[in-house]
Amino acid sequence: MAESLAVDVAERYTRRGKTRISRATVQRVIVYFLLTLISVLVIVPLMWAFAASFTPNDEVFRYVFPFSWRALFPVDFTVEAYRNLFFEEGFTRPIANTLILGFSTVILSGVTSALAGFAFARFDFRGKDVLFGLVLLTFMIPGEVTMIPLYIVVSRLALVNTWTALIVPGLANSLVIFLFRQFFIEIPQDLIDAARVDGASWLKVFASIVLPMSKPVLITASLLLFLGQWNSFFWPLLVAPDPKLRVVQVAVSYAYEEHKTLWNQLLAGSVVAALVPILLVLPFQRYYVSGLVGSGLKE
Amino acid sequence: MNEKRLTRRDFLKVSTGATVAAVLAACAPPTPAPAAKPAEKAPAAAPQKVTTINHLSIWSDDVFAETIALFEEMNPDLKVKNEALSWNAFFEQIQVRLAAGSAEPDTLAVDVPLTAPYGYRGWLLPLDDVFTEEEKADWLESSLKAGTYEGHLISAPVSTSTQLLFYNRNAFEKAGIEPPGEDERWTWEQLADAAQKLTFDEDGDGTPEMWGFIWEQVIRIYQLQPMPMSLGGVPIGPDGLTVRGYIDTDPWIEAFTYYRKAFNEWKFAPQGDVGWPSDTLFRPGKLAMEVAGPWNIKQNIDANLDFEWGVSRHPYFDGGTIVTPTGSWHIGANANTKKIDAATRWVRFVSTVPGAEKWWRTGSHDFPAQKSLLEKIKTDPQFEEWPWKAERIAADEATVNPQPRPVTPGYLEYEEILGDTFSDIRNGADVKESLNTAVERIEAEMDKYRK
Amino acid sequence: MAVRRADHTRASTMQWIPYLFLLPAFILLFTFRIAPALAGFREALYTHNLSAARRSFVGWGNFAHIFRDPIFWKSLRITLVFSLVTNPLQTALALALAVLANQRVRGISIFRSVYLLPVVISINVTSTIWGLLLNKDSGMINGILIQFGLPRQPFLLSPDQALWTIIGIISWVGVPYWMMFFLAGLQGIPQALFEAAAIDGANAWQSFRYITLPLLRRIIAFVLISDTVVNLFLFAPVWILTRGGPQLSTNLLMYDAYRRGFVWGDMGGSAAMMMILLVIAAITVAVEFLLFRSREG
Repeated sequence: MAESLAVDVAERYTRRGKTRISRATVQRVIVYFLLTLISVLVIVPLMWAFAASFTPNDEVFRYVFPFSWRALFPVDFTVEAYRNLFFEEGFTRPIANTLILGFSTVILSGVTSALAGFAFARFDFRGKDVLFGLVLLTFMIPGEVTMIPLYIVVSRLALVNTWTALIVPGLANSLVIFLFRQFFIEIPQDLIDAARVDGASWLKVFASIVLPMSKPVLITASLLLFLGQWNSFFWPLLVAPDPKLRVVQVAVSYAYEEHKTLWNQLLAGSVVAALVPILLVLPFQRYYVSGLVGSGLKE
Repeated sequence: MNEKRLTRRDFLKVSTGATVAAVLAACAPPTPAPAAKPAEKAPAAAPQKVTTINHLSIWSDDVFAETIALFEEMNPDLKVKNEALSWNAFFEQIQVRLAAGSAEPDTLAVDVPLTAPYGYRGWLLPLDDVFTEEEKADWLESSLKAGTYEGHLISAPVSTSTQLLFYNRNAFEKAGIEPPGEDERWTWEQLADAAQKLTFDEDGDGTPEMWGFIWEQVIRIYQLQPMPMSLGGVPIGPDGLTVRGYIDTDPWIEAFTYYRKAFNEWKFAPQGDVGWPSDTLFRPGKLAMEVAGPWNIKQNIDANLDFEWGVSRHPYFDGGTIVTPTGSWHIGANANTKKIDAATRWVRFVSTVPGAEKWWRTGSHDFPAQKSLLEKIKTDPQFEEWPWKAERIAADEATVNPQPRPVTPGYLEYEEILGDTFSDIRNGADVKESLNTAVERIEAEMDKYRK
Repeated sequence: MAVRRADHTRASTMQWIPYLFLLPAFILLFTFRIAPALAGFREALYTHNLSAARRSFVGWGNFAHIFRDPIFWKSLRITLVFSLVTNPLQTALALALAVLANQRVRGISIFRSVYLLPVVISINVTSTIWGLLLNKDSGMINGILIQFGLPRQPFLLSPDQALWTIIGIISWVGVPYWMMFFLAGLQGIPQALFEAAAIDGANAWQSFRYITLPLLRRIIAFVLISDTVVNLFLFAPVWILTRGGPQLSTNLLMYDAYRRGFVWGDMGGSAAMMMILLVIAAITVAVEFLLFRSREG
């Protein structure tokens, strides 16, 4: 709106011959202004958190109130918060736990979901539509709804505070099945037929023909699965309260509850928890976005 | 159509219980987690076999170390694995696990007012036969009573509590006020007067560097209940369910008007999140006075504070009764534990001498609920000199009209809703309105316990 | 079709092979997604906490108890207001941001990367950081307000501001998140359409109104519906920042359900409340769906 209005204004005040250049310039200035404004809204909170995590605790709010630019840079630089976090609070453990959780999910759920996606993409069989419909349906069930009944099952089996309870329920991921199916459906039939004629089993076709050419979807699925676990919170909170099994997000929220006034340490934990997904996603942005968005655009 | 429906139904059939169990079992790690079911089946006949008790608490392993070491030394066939959770997670995990009928934890720390809710739900093992009459007689009568539900002892007393007024002597000197003596008892009115003078905002940024006063457990009924009671108020009706006509009466309104003013008008107490004020304000020297528990005595000593500190008695309202808080941690056994013998031996150890003494001296430092240990505080020369003398003052204060928290199956709801209410009042909400909302909310929740 | 051909070559084995491929994933889906959802319905009809009996059938008792509770109706109102404000707001802002991020200017990919940051950071971390930024006494936002001579605001401590503050915080995440969907949609629209419109003399607003909007209709519907579900089940920010307060002003039903079950141990009541939420979600989604359907026709 504002944009088109400004363009109209620009048009009115310029002479016909020059219009094209001026219009484009005005438009570009406005676009950059808005783009920058929103970037500031995104970056300033994160910059403060980053800077404050490298600041002595007493100084965390020093330049914030009233606000000065110093708040966004660690002017009294110290790694004290990180030292405490890792050497006294044992933050290494939640990180290691979450890495184990993330990688095992990527492998296990990646395999089961890819197999299912392949079946949906390349086979005709009875009940295919119903089963695929079920996959889409479970995609719509919010995880929160199933939390209590799932917890009851897990606790009856005495699996509270075990890796099993932490990992296994997260392996059921209909979005990833869907992504694999969308990708596999595009693979040329000739390639598969050729292999079949050579007498390769379906499992072999899947492993040696389909998977090697599926790098994009493998990257996407791995990112989604890993980040899903890295950021998961409610389920681990419930099912693995033992500090020895604590994951990153739970550790951060405990820090918030227990050390409400050790702000720099709290923020250091948050920075670590945020940095991993940022560093993973930025180089693979295209894959990540296409994976998330894929669920909404296709079919 | 027909075909599809069939397929779906078949799958649904497959999906029920059996698969759930199969999948979870199949994925269990090779070394199964603590659930040592088969081992316990054989009765205590095989002494060489070591049984591990899973204990759920809020204290970390190092707090428990000496107590557990002594227990394991005296019981070579048993081991204790302590699972320490943060305050909120602790209560939530008990709710979730015991409600789901889980066999673990085997034993747990029980906050004494939760005896009734846990008893009502049948979550705790009756312990009547675990203790000798002599052991039972060693507990304070009030503690024994508080651990009993419908005639059965279900949570064994470990600790009890009281509250003292702790103060920063340097702040008093600076303000030119004489602090209260160790046997003197200030009224809340006196306290408000002094607290305002003890609040210093020297750089004038609106946030004092020294606050006048705060309650250690700032929105918990444990800490605040003595105020309305000092004015003749009652926390709950005799049926243990009704709050209408009790927590909305004048003593409550008057007490919480005082409370509201402390934060909003006199502004000697900080609003917003202060965490645990003994740690975040008092010991760092940013708080002149706090009403707090005797567990702070050792913590203050250990912290080598860079100011002089002192203690006085729990305040009361001018013209009102003197009332002090009481109650603390008990210990109970999960009704569904598969290790009854082991669990009850551990419970007995912690709640009686010598386990209780070890726990008091090396563990939580909470006040013991055993008369023989309280006697030691009075006679042991360790407690003659300041600062350890503060323990002796606390022991005496614990006998001054202690009033337990309400006994009700809906204590969790009661406490949490009142916590919300006090938090709102602290941030400036209208006292009468807030208490009325609390009445509505608590009454609605208590409804499910009425038969 | 080609698959059919293969089908003939090994008709006997073909019949069970696809099921074999599906089996692991479906065992997981049924066990951890579908069966618990069905169990949730059943759970809502039971109670765990009435004396002696560990678990007993109460039929609609849990629902009756909830409906009698005046606080439930207050929380329901808050939840509906929250949804009605948040969903259109986020959808509209996300669309606007997508149009902006779709501009062909130099360095646009850097801006897009920046907008991705709130999306990949967990909601816990976001809530924690914003909780500190919005602190009444020493938060940065109040520091900035004071700099401009404005009075400091209580934000999360005020019953009048807390809900709006939470809406703001989750929109910091939600707007760029849904923006990605719109952006992908915009990039799918052939540039030639806009060029043709420009030749016909259409201005920027007109081409947005008559080209972009109609072509994005399906995505708008998708975003609106998904956003509804996400927000109705919102939990973490409330849990971390306000715990339903002050004065119940942020007591969203999802948090209430959590408190009922996990704090007070009333699993049946909690499941019942979850079912109520699910019904509300289903109705809202259906209405939104029909709305978009009828306009299309």
